[in-house]
Amino acid sequence: MKFRYAMVCSSNQNRSMEAHCLLKKQGFDVSSYGTGTHVKLPGPSLREPNVYEFGTPYKHMFDDLRRKDPELYKRNGILPMLKRNLSVKLAPQRWQDNAADGYFDIVFTFEEKVFDMVLEDLHNRDQVLLKSVLVINLEVKDNHEEAAVGARLALDLCEQIEAVESWEDSVDDILICFENKHRRKLLYSISFY
Amino acid sequence: MNPVSREKLASLSNSVKFATDLGPKLELCRQLKRDLLEEDAAALSEFLSHIFDLYSDPSGPVRKLATEIIGEIGVKHLEFVPEIAPFLITVLEDATPAVARQSISCSIDLFRHTLEKTAIQGLHSSELDSDLESSWSWMLKLKEKIYSIAFQPGSGGVKLVALKFVEAVILLYTPNPNGSSEPPPNEGTPIEFNISWLHGRHPFLNVGDLSIEASQRLVLLLDQLRFPTVKSLTTSVIVVLINSLSAIAKKRPAYYGRILPVLLSLDPPSFVIKEVHVYGANNALKNALLSCLQCSHPSAAPWRDRLLGALKDMEAGGLAEVALNQVHKVNGSVEDEKDHSSVIKEEKPMTKACDAAGSNVGRKRSGTEDSSGLAETGDVSGKRVRSTPSVSEESTKELNRNTSMSQGDISSAQSTTRKVDVDTGPVQQLVAMFGALVAQGEKAVGSLGILISSISADLLAEVVMANMRNLPPTHSHTDADDELLEDMCIVGSNTQAKYPPSFLVDVVSLSSTFPPIAALLNSQQSVPNEIVIQKTEVGEEVDVMAGPNSTVAYAGMAHEAENALLPGMEKIDVPTPSDIQDVGNLESGIPGLDSSFHYDGLSDAQAASSLVSTDLEDTSQEQGTSFGGKSPLHVLPSISIERSEELSPKAAVNDSSGVVSSTATSVVSSHPFVLPKMSAPVVNLSDDQKDDVQKLAYIRIIEAYKQIAVAGGSQVRSSLLAYLGVELPSELDLHKLLRDHILSDYINHEGHELTLRVLYRLFGEAEEESDFFSCTTAASAYETFLLAVAETLRDTFPPSDKSLSKLLGEAPCLPKSVLNLLECLCSPGISEKAEESQSGDRVTQGLSTVWSLILLRPPIRDVCLKIALQSAVHHLEEVRMKAIRLVANKLYPLPSISQQIEDFAREMLLSAVNIDAAEITDAEGLIIESHKDSELEKPSHEHQSVSSTGKDISAIFHQSETSQSGSSPSVPEAQRCMSLYFALCTKKHSLFGQIFIVYSSASKAVKQAIHRHIPILVRTMGLSSDLLEIISDPPTGSENLLMQVLQTLTEGTVPSAELIFTIKKLFDSKLKDVEILVPVLPFLPGDEVLLLFPYLVNLPLDKFQAALTRLLQGSSQSGPVLSPAEVLIAIHGIDPERDGIPLKKVTDACNACFEQRHIFTQQILAKVLNQLVEQIPLPLLFMRTVLQAIGAFPGLVGFIMEILSRLVSKQIWKYPKLWVGFLKCAFLTKPQSFSVLLQLPPPQLENALNRTAALKAPLVAHASQENIRTSLPRSVLAVLGLSPESQPSSQVQTSQAHTGDTNNSEKDAVAEISKESSGAS
Repeated sequence: MKFRYAMVCSSNQNRSMEAHCLLKKQGFDVSSYGTGTHVKLPGPSLREPNVYEFGTPYKHMFDDLRRKDPELYKRNGILPMLKRNLSVKLAPQRWQDNAADGYFDIVFTFEEKVFDMVLEDLHNRDQVLLKSVLVINLEVKDNHEEAAVGARLALDLCEQIEAVESWEDSVDDILICFENKHRRKLLYSISFY
Repeated sequence: MNPVSREKLASLSNSVKFATDLGPKLELCRQLKRDLLEEDAAALSEFLSHIFDLYSDPSGPVRKLATEIIGEIGVKHLEFVPEIAPFLITVLEDATPAVARQSISCSIDLFRHTLEKTAIQGLHSSELDSDLESSWSWMLKLKEKIYSIAFQPGSGGVKLVALKFVEAVILLYTPNPNGSSEPPPNEGTPIEFNISWLHGRHPFLNVGDLSIEASQRLVLLLDQLRFPTVKSLTTSVIVVLINSLSAIAKKRPAYYGRILPVLLSLDPPSFVIKEVHVYGANNALKNALLSCLQCSHPSAAPWRDRLLGALKDMEAGGLAEVALNQVHKVNGSVEDEKDHSSVIKEEKPMTKACDAAGSNVGRKRSGTEDSSGLAETGDVSGKRVRSTPSVSEESTKELNRNTSMSQGDISSAQSTTRKVDVDTGPVQQLVAMFGALVAQGEKAVGSLGILISSISADLLAEVVMANMRNLPPTHSHTDADDELLEDMCIVGSNTQAKYPPSFLVDVVSLSSTFPPIAALLNSQQSVPNEIVIQKTEVGEEVDVMAGPNSTVAYAGMAHEAENALLPGMEKIDVPTPSDIQDVGNLESGIPGLDSSFHYDGLSDAQAASSLVSTDLEDTSQEQGTSFGGKSPLHVLPSISIERSEELSPKAAVNDSSGVVSSTATSVVSSHPFVLPKMSAPVVNLSDDQKDDVQKLAYIRIIEAYKQIAVAGGSQVRSSLLAYLGVELPSELDLHKLLRDHILSDYINHEGHELTLRVLYRLFGEAEEESDFFSCTTAASAYETFLLAVAETLRDTFPPSDKSLSKLLGEAPCLPKSVLNLLECLCSPGISEKAEESQSGDRVTQGLSTVWSLILLRPPIRDVCLKIALQSAVHHLEEVRMKAIRLVANKLYPLPSISQQIEDFAREMLLSAVNIDAAEITDAEGLIIESHKDSELEKPSHEHQSVSSTGKDISAIFHQSETSQSGSSPSVPEAQRCMSLYFALCTKKHSLFGQIFIVYSSASKAVKQAIHRHIPILVRTMGLSSDLLEIISDPPTGSENLLMQVLQTLTEGTVPSAELIFTIKKLFDSKLKDVEILVPVLPFLPGDEVLLLFPYLVNLPLDKFQAALTRLLQGSSQSGPVLSPAEVLIAIHGIDPERDGIPLKKVTDACNACFEQRHIFTQQILAKVLNQLVEQIPLPLLFMRTVLQAIGAFPGLVGFIMEILSRLVSKQIWKYPKLWVGFLKCAFLTKPQSFSVLLQLPPPQLENALNRTAALKAPLVAHASQENIRTSLPRSVLAVLGLSPESQPSSQVQTSQAHTGDTNNSEKDAVAEISKESSGAS
C-alpha cells in the first residue's frame, strides 16, 4: 500500500470508523478522525446527549453507556458500534489535532461540512512541505446502514486510487469513473502539507 | 569525518546500490539518510557525489528518496546549494512524476532557507559572501525552471506542485501585514520570515523588485483562470489554482482587488468540459470565497457584498451568513476593546494609518457592522416580502423568528453578540437595502419604487421607523477619521453620508401616502431625534458615536423582546406608569404581532415572573444610584461604566428640559430601565422556567385551536401548529401535547391531516439531518408519535373505522414498531401481553390495513405480506380464515407477490409433513398395524355406509384421535399449517399435485387434516384439466386421497366423460384397484360393469356393499345401472376358479344381496331363479341361493317346488355339489318337496333317501297314501320299500347312508353345503 489514508467524519464513531475498520481489514494504511468539538452520542433525549472528549477510549464510553441504559443503547445500535470501534483503535481522534500523525495522501470525508472543515484546517496549517493531499468527500448519511454502504464505496475508491502510479495525474478519471459506476456524487479538493 | 562512519556510509551506499529488492533498498536508503543527516558539512561534501549516484537508480521510489535526502542535506547545509540546485533542476525532468514532485518539494524548502539567509545576512552587513550569492543565483535558476513548469500549458501532477511553489514564492516575496515588520533581534528565534524586514537596506534584494516579480507571477496565475486558458485545465489544476489564489488573497489582503475579480468572474459550469466535476471546482470556489469573506482585513470589506452575492448564487447563502456572523463577533469584541482604549487615550495622535483605520472600525462598530450585516440578508428579506405579501404569512415568519430568538440567542449573556442578532432583523435588512439602493443614486430610482410598492404598508412603516436612527443628528463631526471610514464603507448604511437629506424627504413623503402610519411615524420620529439632539448637547464625540446606536439598538431590543413573548417584559412595565405608555407605543409599531399572543404572554407571566420582577427592581434601583461595575449584565464592565456615565447626564438634561413631548419623555426616561430590562429576565429565567413558558404558551395555542375550528383556513393553521410543535425543543414534550390534542377528537380536529403534517415534519428532520445524533433523535420522535397515534386509533375507534389504515397508508414511512403493532393486530396473541379483548373485527381491520399497505407501499410490501402470511397460519381458526381469505382472494392474484405467497404456503405445508417425519420412521410400523386393526374393526362399527371410503378415513381419524402421541403434530396443528395451501389450490389447481405428493409421507394427523379439507376443496375447484392430470397420475401412496377426491367429484353430479375416461384409464394402466371405479360405477354402461363385477365382488365386503348400493341406485339421470336381478345373476356368473376369486367372497356377495330384502324381493328372486335354472351348466351357487331364498321368503316354496322339479328333469344328480343342495332343499321343504322327490328316478331316489335318512319315513308315509301310491311306478315303490322284492338291497344302501348322516339336521345341511363349496374353491 503506497498511500496513507484518513477517514474523517464528525464524531469518529460511525462512518469514519466503519470505513476505518473495513480498510484496515483490507490491509490499508488507514487512520480515522472526527472534526467535531466533542464526541456526541445520542442519549435518552435530545437535551441529554452523551458528550465525551476526543481521546476518551471507546471502551470507556461502552462501559458508561452500558451502565446507563443497556437496553436503549443496544436497541439504537450504539453499543454494538462502540464494541466494533474499540476493536479498531483505542479512542476517537480529532482531525484538527492530528498534526503529529504525519501527512496523509488521501483523506476521505463523509459529509460536506466535514470536508469543508478538513480543507479549512489544512489551509490554516503552514503549507511548507508542498506535499499534496487529495481530499474526497463521499456523502454518506449518518446511520448504521448507510455507513456500511459508504465504507464499501470508500474501499472501492481506495482500491482504484491505489492502483495508479500517482493520483495527481489521474484523479479526475478515477473519480468520474467511480461516479458513473456507483451513481454517487463526489467532491474533491487538493490541498498541501 | 571519522573513518569508521565514512566506511560505514560507503558500505551503506554501496549496499543500496547493489540491493535488488525494492523493499530492503528503500530501508537501506532511509538508514543512509538518518546517518547522513548526522554528519558535518565537510564529510558530506565528500560524500555528496555518492548520493547523486543513487539517483541513477532505475526504480522511482529510490530516486525519490535520493532526491529527498539531497534536499534535506541542502536545507541543513546551504553551502551545498550550488551543487544541489543543478541536480534538482535535472530531477525536475524525471520521467516519474512523483520524483519530479519531490524535487519541487525540496526546492521550496531550499529556496525559503536560502532567501532567509541571504536576506538576514544582507541586513547585518553590506557585503555578502560569494558562496551565498552564488547559492542565491542558483536558486533563482531553479525557481525559473519550476515557474516554467507551472505555467506551461497542459496539466499533470507536477504542475500542481509547481503552482503551489509559485504561491509559496509569491507569499515569500510580499510583506506579511500580520507579521512583524522587524527582523527578530536574535537570529535563533523561530519566526516566520517576512520580506518587509528588508526595508530597502539590502545589497541586492530589493523589496520593490521582489514584489513586482510576485505580482507578475500572480498575474500569470490569474491568467490561467481567465477565459479561455481555463478551458484547457483539468479540475484538479483549477482546484489548486483557486485554493492558492484564495490563500494568497487571505494572507496578502493587498491583492484582494486583483484576485477577487477573477475568482468572482469564474463560472465553473461554463469552463469545465467534463461536466461531472463541476462541483469539485465549484466547491473549491465556494470555499475560497467563503474564506475571503471571513477575512477581517479592512481591504476585504468592500468586497463583501459581491462575495455574498456570488455565494448566494452558489446557494451557499446560509454559510455566508454564518461566516459573517463569526466575523462580526470577532470584530465586535475587538472593537469593544478598541473603543475602550480610544476613550482612554483620546488625545493620542493617530500616527499610523493602519491603526487609525482599525480603531475607526472599532469605534464605528455598529456602523460598519450594521451595514454589512444588513447588506448580507437584504436580498433575502426583500425576496421574502415580495413572494409572501400576505399578512398572515408574514406574521408566521415573524413568529418563527421570534421563537427562535427566545430559545437561544437572548439567553446567551454575551451582550455584544446579542446586539448583532438584534440588528439583523428583517426590518433592518430592508433598511439596509433601501440604503444600498439610494446609495446608487438616480439609476436605482426604478428599483426603489418597485421595492416600496411590493412591501406591505406596515412593514414599510417599520422600515421608516427603524431608519430614524440614521437621521443625521448634526454635522458636528467631519473629522479625518470619518472620512477614512466613509472611504472604506462602500455600502455603509449608517453614516450621514449614506443618507442624504433627499432620501429622507423621499421616505417621509412615501410614508405620507400611508396616513395611519404617518401619524405613528411622526410620534416615533421625534424620539430618536430627541435623543440625538440631547446627546449632541452633551457634546462628547464618543457619545455621539456610541450613544444613538446603542439607544436604538436597545429600543430595537425591546421590540424583539416584545415579539418574543417574554413575560418578564410586560410585568416589568407595569410598575411605572410612564412605561405603560412606552409599551403601548412600542407595540403599536410591531406589525403582525398577534394580539392574542400578547395576551397569552401577559397572563402566563403572572405565574412565572414574580421572581424576575423583583430582581429587576433591584437592578433598576442600583442603576438609579450608580451603574457600578458589578452589573451582571455586561461582559465588559468597563464599557458599562462608561456608558452609564454617558447616559446619566443625558437623563438629567432631559428631565430638566421638560419641553419634550410626552412620548419622548417616556422613552427617554425609561431608557435606564430598558437597559437592564432586556437582559434581566433572560438571565434570571432558568431553563425550567423557559420550558414552562413555552409549554404553557403552546397549550394555550392548542386550546385556542379548539375554539377557532370554525374559522376555516385549517390548512394553514394545522401546518402552523405542527410546525410549532416540532420546532420547539423536543424536551418539552410538546409532541405529547399535540398528540393529546389530535387524539382528543381525531375527527373534529382534523386529526389525520394534522398528524400527517407533524409526521412529515419530523420525518423531514430525521432524513435531512446528516448529524448522527439529531437524526437518531428525530427518528425516535417520529416513531413515538406515529406509534402513539396509531395505538390510540386502534384502541378508541371501532374496528370498522378506516382512520388507522389511512394514517398508515399516508405516513411518510413506517418504522418497525408500527409494523409490530400491525402484526399484533393481525395475529392476536403473538405478543406476550394477552389481548383477549380483541375481537375478530380487529383482525379484519388489521388485515385490511395490511392489504392496503401492500397495494400502496411497494417498499414495505414484503414486510406486510409477511404479516398477512403469519396471520394466515394463526392458531385461531377465525383469524386464520380471515387472513387466508385475504391472501388467497386479494393478494394471491397480484402477480408480483403470488410466487412469494406460494412459496410460503408450500413451506408451511411441508413443515407440517416434516415435523413428524422423524416420528413416522419409528412409528410407521405401529401406524400400519393399527391401520390394519382398524380395517378389521371396521365392520363392527359400520352399518349401511353410504361412502365406505369416507368411513375408512373417519376410522383413521378415530384412531389417531385416540392414539395421539405427544410429539407428532395434532390435527389442528396440521390444519393450521396447511389451510393456506389448500386455499391457494382453489386458485391454482396445479398446486394440488403437491398435496398428493406430500400425502404419501404424511403422518396420520396430517392425512386426517387433508381429508377434512378435501371435500370443500375439491368441490370449490371442480374438475379442471389440472386436476384431471393429477388424477391421471397419482403418486403411489395417495390412493386414499385419490378415492376421496373422486368421491367428492362424483357426489351429487354426473362426472364428465373425461373424468370417467381418466379413471378407467388409470384403472386399466396403473392402478389395478377397482375401488377407484366405485365412485363412477353408476355412470358406466351396464355391460362394462358386468365385466368388472368379479373385481367388485373381490373387494372387501363393506366396499362391495357400497359399490352394490351405487350400482343399484345408479345416477339420478340414467337410473340404475343394473337391476337387482342382473346383479344376482352376475354374482352367480362368477366362476371362482376362472376369475380367481375366493368362493367365500362370492357367497359373501350373495349374502350381502339377501340382506337387502327391500331390494332383492321375492319376485326378483323368483325371476333370478327362473333364469338361473335355465343356465347350462347350472351356477355353482344355485342351490345355495335357492336355499337362501326359501330361508328368506318362505312364501316362495311353491315356486321352489317348480324349480326343483325342473331340476329333476335336468337330472340334477349329475352335479354332485348341487345334488347335495337339492336334497337339503328337499329336506327343508318337506312335505311339499315329496312330490318332487317322488319324481326322481328310483336310483336317485334311493340315493337321496340314503343320504338323507330322515326323509325316508315321512316320504314313505306320504307315498303310502292310497291315491299317491297308485300313481307311483313300481320301481319307486320298491325303493320306498313299499314293494317287498326290492327292499333288502335298498335297505343296505340306506343303512350305509345312515352311518354318515344320522344326526343331520337343517343346520348341518347348510353347513355342509358351505363346507363343500369352500372345498370347491
